[in-house]
Amino acid sequence: MRVIVAGVGYRNLRDHSVGVVVADRLLERAWRDDVVVEDLSYNPIAVVQRLEDEPPERRFTRAVVVSAVERGNRQPGTVVAYRWDGLLPDDEQVQRAVAEAVTGVIALDNTLVVARHFGGLPDEVVVIEVEPEVQEFGEDFSDAVARAIDRVCELAVTMATDASAVTKLPNAGLGGWAPTLTGHHIA
Amino acid sequence: MCFKNLPIEFDAQGKPFLRAGVANPYGPAEATPRGAPAQLTAERIEELLKRNGYIKDLDFDPVTRVAGALAFHTVADFQGRKVLEARSMATLFRGYEVIMIGRDPRDAVFITSRACGVCGGVHSVTSAMAIEMAIGCVPPPLGVLIRNLALALEFLYDHPLHLHLLAGPDYSAAMVGPTNPSILERARRSEAPHAEVHGFRTMGDLMDDLNPLTGKLYLEALQMTRVAREAYVLICGKYPHPQTIVPGGMSSTINLTVMNEMFTRLAQFFDYSKKLAAIWDDLTEFFYEANPAYKQVGARRANLIDSGIFDHHEAYDATYAGAAAWGERRWATPGVVMDGQLVTTDLHALNIGVEEFVEHSYYEEWTGDGQRQHFPIDPVGNPLSPYHPWNKVTKPRPQGQSWKEKYTWDTAPRWDRQAMEAGAYARLWNTAVAQKLPANPFIESTGTSLKLRLPQGALPELELEWKVPTVWNAFERNRARAYCTGFTALVALNNWLAAMDRIKLGDTRTSTPFEIPKRGEQRGVGFWGAGRGYLTHHLTLDRGAVANYQILTPSTWNASPSDRWRQPGPYEEAVLNTPLLEETDDPAKFKGIDILRAIRSFDPCMPCTTHIHSDAGVITREVNTCACGVDDEGG
Repeated sequence: MRVIVAGVGYRNLRDHSVGVVVADRLLERAWRDDVVVEDLSYNPIAVVQRLEDEPPERRFTRAVVVSAVERGNRQPGTVVAYRWDGLLPDDEQVQRAVAEAVTGVIALDNTLVVARHFGGLPDEVVVIEVEPEVQEFGEDFSDAVARAIDRVCELAVTMATDASAVTKLPNAGLGGWAPTLTGHHIA
Repeated sequence: MCFKNLPIEFDAQGKPFLRAGVANPYGPAEATPRGAPAQLTAERIEELLKRNGYIKDLDFDPVTRVAGALAFHTVADFQGRKVLEARSMATLFRGYEVIMIGRDPRDAVFITSRACGVCGGVHSVTSAMAIEMAIGCVPPPLGVLIRNLALALEFLYDHPLHLHLLAGPDYSAAMVGPTNPSILERARRSEAPHAEVHGFRTMGDLMDDLNPLTGKLYLEALQMTRVAREAYVLICGKYPHPQTIVPGGMSSTINLTVMNEMFTRLAQFFDYSKKLAAIWDDLTEFFYEANPAYKQVGARRANLIDSGIFDHHEAYDATYAGAAAWGERRWATPGVVMDGQLVTTDLHALNIGVEEFVEHSYYEEWTGDGQRQHFPIDPVGNPLSPYHPWNKVTKPRPQGQSWKEKYTWDTAPRWDRQAMEAGAYARLWNTAVAQKLPANPFIESTGTSLKLRLPQGALPELELEWKVPTVWNAFERNRARAYCTGFTALVALNNWLAAMDRIKLGDTRTSTPFEIPKRGEQRGVGFWGAGRGYLTHHLTLDRGAVANYQILTPSTWNASPSDRWRQPGPYEEAVLNTPLLEETDDPAKFKGIDILRAIRSFDPCMPCTTHIHSDAGVITREVNTCACGVDDEGG
């Protein structure tokens, strides 16, 4: 069992930097050998290539991915954790995700869709989303998101180290909603 | 005499001056773009739409498989199978020009890099060059050579990406089958002329492997982008947004080990370039033969502009005064092609002919009554327009969309008042015709073509020849981009060899120390290029801080709206000339593939434009995407 805990987001973009800030903080902790913490805030195709570079016997079996995502239907600072059902949109949407990936878009959904499509992700993917409040340059968080950061870090630690906690999470589509009704599943 | 519209003439020594007796030399009436096409008026289009049921709106929003936010509006005549109106819209604002005001110029290298997630490194270098010119700092030869290598490696990422991930699917079986089944059927029966190079026996086989997500060419391009990025990171530390590009050169440590590791990646592009050229030669000729009307897809006047790239390490002195000389010693010659003829390779002439207009853009005019033109001349005394980037002031003004008024965040850059297009092909065209290449064993400029001698790899040594095309359209843009991959790889090889020579001599210095002057006013311009072509940063410093900063990117040129003379921008003009060749009479089943081929052939890259929303802050989704875009303010 090897786990990768990954942050996805932009630096210096206030609430949208949650993923990278959490990764930075978790990197300061001592971890078991089977847990790797990384900032995966780059071209999702390169993320696939990085994950595929692990030798077969050391491929990750669980990914815990942390990011700010504006879903718009929840209060700022809301933390949502779920096991991603891995369902992909149709091929046209995947193709669009790839085009965005190679032209520089860094976003949680894009990273997960592209990485899943090309087989870079482990079967078990835990997503921890934080609803952001502000989109602007800067190093500090809004109050709502700042209050959530410690909790997000602890949640990520739990999901990285406690398999039983993972099984208690809901199985859901991107955003933490009910499993996607359309699309196809790639296990 | 390269100017036909602006009243600029040249004296016996070749120095430009404004023609005497013209009261308002840069006025809209005094200098009009003669011979340019014009959009139909909005009133005329409305009338046609009302009168004819077969004339319909056809909108693409967003245009997919491009970098960033582009929308496109057309009015199509489904009976005549032609486009009557074309409007290109950059739907987001970038605003780096506003961000830069008042900052320490050293920030510019790192901040403007964010204009683009695909080609951030090119913005960094362009910014560094503008600063170097302003403050008088010259990089050492190895610094220049490493910049050239870095640029080449960015292009070796960009070109495969565009050819087989963004544009390529337009020519795939998955796309051609539904839109033009007879073409795909013909492809299945047609042997591919260059099968021995690319490995596909029939054109149908080739089209199968252009299929998105599953095609071998699509997947191979993904892999090649990795190779190029690895090579880049070896010499520049990281990507995107390298931290090693500085005014005065490069801060990375370059040694034989690094250079050798980089070369193992670069060498993979020699064979790949042979394949790309063979594939796009075969595709182009196949479509032309299947239906000669394809020569009209994306066709427009061959009006091209390129600021030149890849400085000669013994020529570049970072001065504006010397730009005409060091520009012409570049590995890709700067220049302007007007109606297929190269009219200048002089960076001074190129610079003074540039203007930006905002009649149809979401900006306020900055000239007018009571507005003093800040710089009536350039640093060597040549005349400048009030619409020149050194005089431009960015004043965003969001408002509703109207074809009669304003409809895009892009501006309308013009050279000698003509709509020009930028691209990898402009680089090839100028270099092929100008015959100013440095002596070298791999690339030959013949005056009508470029000969590219690609070394042996798994494939044998091969000489490619890109010939200046007799028609200018979507297919030729893509074909040229494919050849440009080989050209780029060979420029890199030349520069790699020169860098190795410097290192062997013990000359490993890559940067020159500098200080930012705290007094007075200074000006600089970075003349450089992105994968998509022309890129300039015009900078003014005042007492050590940025007083004005203007970025002009390739997609600013290409995606520009119509201007005050109703002259369409390049995407618009190319689409207006595009016949609708899909094999359906049902507008509901119409995919607009030929229109999309025309637009995508420019390799649109909008995000430079799109980083800041007009009222609320950053658009997160685009923040790091390829920003060489439109806006004008955009990048």
